[in-house]
Amino acid sequence: MPDHLNPATEGSSGAGGEASEDRPKGTVMPAEMIEVSIDAPQFQVAAANPERVEHGIAVMFMIGLLGFMGFGASYWQNYSNFWLGITLGVGFFGLGVGMVAWGKYLMPRGPFSEARHSAAPTPEEQQAFLTDFTSRGKVAIERRGFLLKLLGAAGGVFTIVAAFPLLRSLGPLPQKLFYRTGWKKHSYLVTFEGRRVHEDDLVKGGVLTVFPPDDIGGALSQTILIRLEDASYGDVVTAPGRKTWGPKGYLAFSKVCTHAGCPVALWQKALDELLCPCHQSIFKVGPGHPADAVFGPAPRPLPQLPLYIDKQGYLRAQAPYNEPVGPGFWERGAD
Amino acid sequence: MIDNLYQWTDKRLNISGGSRKLLNKIFPDHWSFMLGEIALYSFVVLVATGIFLTLYFVPSQHEIVYHGPYLPLDGQRVSEAYASTIRLSFQVRAGLLMRQMHHWAANIFVGSIVVHMCRVFFTGGFRRPREFNWIIGVNLLILAIFNGFLGYSLPDDLVSGTGIRIAFSILESLPLVGSYLAVWLFGGNFPGTAIIPRFFIIHVLILPAIIAGLIGAHLFLLVKQKHTQFKGSGATEENVVGAPMYPNFIAKTQGFLFLVTAVTALLAAVVQINPIWQYGPYKPYKVSYAVQPDWYMGWLDGALRVMPSWEIVFPGHMIPNAFFPGILLPGLTFTILMLWPIIEARITKDDVEHHILEEPRNNPLRTAFGAAVLAFYFVLFGASATDVLANYLSVSLNTVLVTFRVLVIAVPLVVFPITYKICVELQHQHRPSKTKRHNIVVRSPEGGYSTIEVKPRPGDERTHLPPIPVDAMVLVGPRTAQAADGASPTNGTDGGRVRGIFKIPRTYR
Amino acid sequence: MGLRLLRKILVPFAAIVVAASMATLLMGRSHVASPTSTPSPSQFSLTAAGSASRKAQLQTGYQLFQVHCSFCHGTRADGSTGIAPNLQGLGPGVVQLWLRTGWMPLKTPGAQPDNKPPAFNDTQIREIALWVASLKKGGVPFPPKLHLNKANVAQGFSLFTLNCAPCHTITGAGDALADGYHAPPLKAVTRHEVYEAVRSGPQNMPQFGPKNITPAQLRDIIKYVVKYIKHPVSPGGISLGGVGPVAEGFVGLFIGVGGCLLAAYWVGDRTERGSEEDQGSGEGPAGEREASHA
Repeated sequence: MPDHLNPATEGSSGAGGEASEDRPKGTVMPAEMIEVSIDAPQFQVAAANPERVEHGIAVMFMIGLLGFMGFGASYWQNYSNFWLGITLGVGFFGLGVGMVAWGKYLMPRGPFSEARHSAAPTPEEQQAFLTDFTSRGKVAIERRGFLLKLLGAAGGVFTIVAAFPLLRSLGPLPQKLFYRTGWKKHSYLVTFEGRRVHEDDLVKGGVLTVFPPDDIGGALSQTILIRLEDASYGDVVTAPGRKTWGPKGYLAFSKVCTHAGCPVALWQKALDELLCPCHQSIFKVGPGHPADAVFGPAPRPLPQLPLYIDKQGYLRAQAPYNEPVGPGFWERGAD
Repeated sequence: MIDNLYQWTDKRLNISGGSRKLLNKIFPDHWSFMLGEIALYSFVVLVATGIFLTLYFVPSQHEIVYHGPYLPLDGQRVSEAYASTIRLSFQVRAGLLMRQMHHWAANIFVGSIVVHMCRVFFTGGFRRPREFNWIIGVNLLILAIFNGFLGYSLPDDLVSGTGIRIAFSILESLPLVGSYLAVWLFGGNFPGTAIIPRFFIIHVLILPAIIAGLIGAHLFLLVKQKHTQFKGSGATEENVVGAPMYPNFIAKTQGFLFLVTAVTALLAAVVQINPIWQYGPYKPYKVSYAVQPDWYMGWLDGALRVMPSWEIVFPGHMIPNAFFPGILLPGLTFTILMLWPIIEARITKDDVEHHILEEPRNNPLRTAFGAAVLAFYFVLFGASATDVLANYLSVSLNTVLVTFRVLVIAVPLVVFPITYKICVELQHQHRPSKTKRHNIVVRSPEGGYSTIEVKPRPGDERTHLPPIPVDAMVLVGPRTAQAADGASPTNGTDGGRVRGIFKIPRTYR
Repeated sequence: MGLRLLRKILVPFAAIVVAASMATLLMGRSHVASPTSTPSPSQFSLTAAGSASRKAQLQTGYQLFQVHCSFCHGTRADGSTGIAPNLQGLGPGVVQLWLRTGWMPLKTPGAQPDNKPPAFNDTQIREIALWVASLKKGGVPFPPKLHLNKANVAQGFSLFTLNCAPCHTITGAGDALADGYHAPPLKAVTRHEVYEAVRSGPQNMPQFGPKNITPAQLRDIIKYVVKYIKHPVSPGGISLGGVGPVAEGFVGLFIGVGGCLLAAYWVGDRTERGSEEDQGSGEGPAGEREASHA
């Protein structure tokens, strides 16, 4: 330790002195010496009045201590989230301020410096490494290239084969999953409670979410049933070829947005528009309007479910949807 | 006792040999270099609170009937994931605090990564030799965003469930493999019963492990390559100027960890985040308006909104609309971000090492480009709130959306030249030294005023203190302690030796 | 259909309406002064209890209507003026809703009337509603006594999520709809307003009949709204207006990250960099150094 404290003594410190003249080559060249006084301001604490700072830090640590005690008490007494959080926060705050102040004001203020060297190796280092690498490799590995190739092939096959259980076991093949909903020919329209929807159920301007009976709550089967406000309770023809699809002012559309699949649940009855809550696509419905995507990012109209009213007055599906519902996917293609 | 333990361990692991260098490690201490630390410490908070949460959260979509203190849910059919999160919020002591701290810490985590990244970008800190660390950083950002998304999806509430639905649609929109990936990830068609358990294990194990590993690599490279610094205060390309690891930096950074934790805890105490009991359980056919993802996904949501209703359709196949804003945009964003150091080096033909940071004004082209890109994403973020904005401003939703479609192009185009101009102007500005001088103004009996310049007090000359090689600190260590105590005069003789002046090799300067 | 027409008419004629309220003040007297030209309210008395107080109510309602409403809706509330819709047959509940919320009389032009302090007190509103209802039967009645004690608030929450949250948001904060309309916030609604709005579907709001949402279900919804939407359970602290992640993001960024930045600003060094006194040729390329190494 005394040696350390006195680097001016010749050769005592490995870093300097004339002794370094006979260092091995490749290291930092011998340096000229600079003089640093022990009284240099860099070694002094930053605080003008260390005692005051020390008191301040003590106060902060006390606050921290009290904060944590408060947290313990709040926890014990099962106080509200507010008190738990405040006490914990104050505890850490006191500790944090104290520690930072300690490091900032009561330690040698610096600045200190350290040498920096290029991140790249010297050409000699690189050369030495490459020499070692290639010279050994030549003998041991490169001459047995066939083995190397075989090893590579085995590893490659493993990688490919390992991908099968990793991916394929995760789930089924998509096949026709995106095409199928629970709707069948003559399916009743039922509510989420399983109640069949009767033609008297909706008043004009009414709206109801309906499902096929065997897929209640189904993500793809969900259908929005609306009754137009202006309709004279006759058949609503939204598009040519859909003459009988909307009996007595009723219209049913897939509730799955063709953009990103959100439930298109916002029925603005005075405008005859369906609005998607996620990305604000607007679909126009009514005579001559088969839920056209009139605004926003949705690229396609909502598929319409053809309806009819049976003899007992229940609403039923003439047929399932004639196109995949919901957002697009690669295999969907042009209709 | 501790000494014995140290001896015992040291003889086996040789801590002393390796660690001395570490104690002397110099960290430049400009405040803007601490932004990454915010991210690091919010990650610590995330792990700590996250461990607490995993003890109570049940990652299952199995439906049960909820019974508990929150009456609007009492008797509703909810998933176990949702029920356990409600229980965590209402019944587990300090559970709500931990949940809210976790969520706020996640917001701070991603936010500080972005701010840190901006600092590195605008000061050119990514240039050779730090390209690898930049790439690691970009990957950390991506993983942080992903994990944030997974995390807020876990409670299986109405709002996050809608987000999962959109994620499914985006995955589904990938050409060629989209349907397969979506169905495999979800274990079937949406919603299935596998996604919450799978998100859970990815969220609490896989991604945190990768993130922790990348943080380790990030810090390792930081230590190995040494931190960049601003010029001034004797900082050159060949040295690092700042505070030594021990004791200054350790004390400050440890304190900073506590401060970040304090901010998180106070925020969690005062401001409620993600009150899932108000949202209710997710059902695929239910939805709430004003659903947005957390802010770091907001730009993607905004992109989905402003995207015109285009789709590429050809016989048998299609590229759905959601692909462009949902996959192409983030894909391009992160690829370009990751390759930026290489792209810039190609453009500027700059292939030398840089350890001194640039001031943003001194590289107006990069600064203007960065600002324009930031503006682009900021507008997209704003677009994720078109409905909320329209409501508050009482403007038509349609008008707001069309406005954003224009702004998303226009704002970056405006920001670029303005930033460029500002940078150039600032370059020409004369910058006086900001060091404060204390002057005393006195009034003479005759009524005249004169100024007496006061000798700088300790601390005033802070900027202009030349750095001292850190080895010197080791040498005077014990003395400094005495000086701090003010106990004994430091100059003089001790054991007959002259003390007080040290010779330090100049190579360090 | 009536309300839809109402909307269509309100936009172009909003200006007229402003004038109308002035004009009725001047012209209205003549209407009241010559009751022979219009049917006497007693002729339309609906209830059998044609008591004196009932008659007096109808009389006042009639007079108020003539003064404040008839310019647009016509003296018989039949929309015969062509600028405002026919109110006959809508029911007293609708009239009460529109007046109590301050939607009517329309003062400011706009696609959708906003909540404002009602122009009449509750008694007057009831009187006007009674008179309008006396013209034609049907429509939405006055809300019945809503006994909420036995209502199932969990059922109400579930139904609220399905039927109300899509537009009004799950926290009842309200949000903007298409084409300049908005779903108003539900933070200040009364149980009667919920009843009347659900049953009548004002403007763009869908109309939910008793077979769609049964009276019991409606009570459940009302209980959830008046208990939990108006007074949300927020044990976690400030609820940020119930607009969710957007507000949370701003708080997280500006207060969370901002607070940490402030801390960093204190912890770290703040000396001005690159001032002219600093001679360090910092930007000197490392290449020189490498050259000097070699």
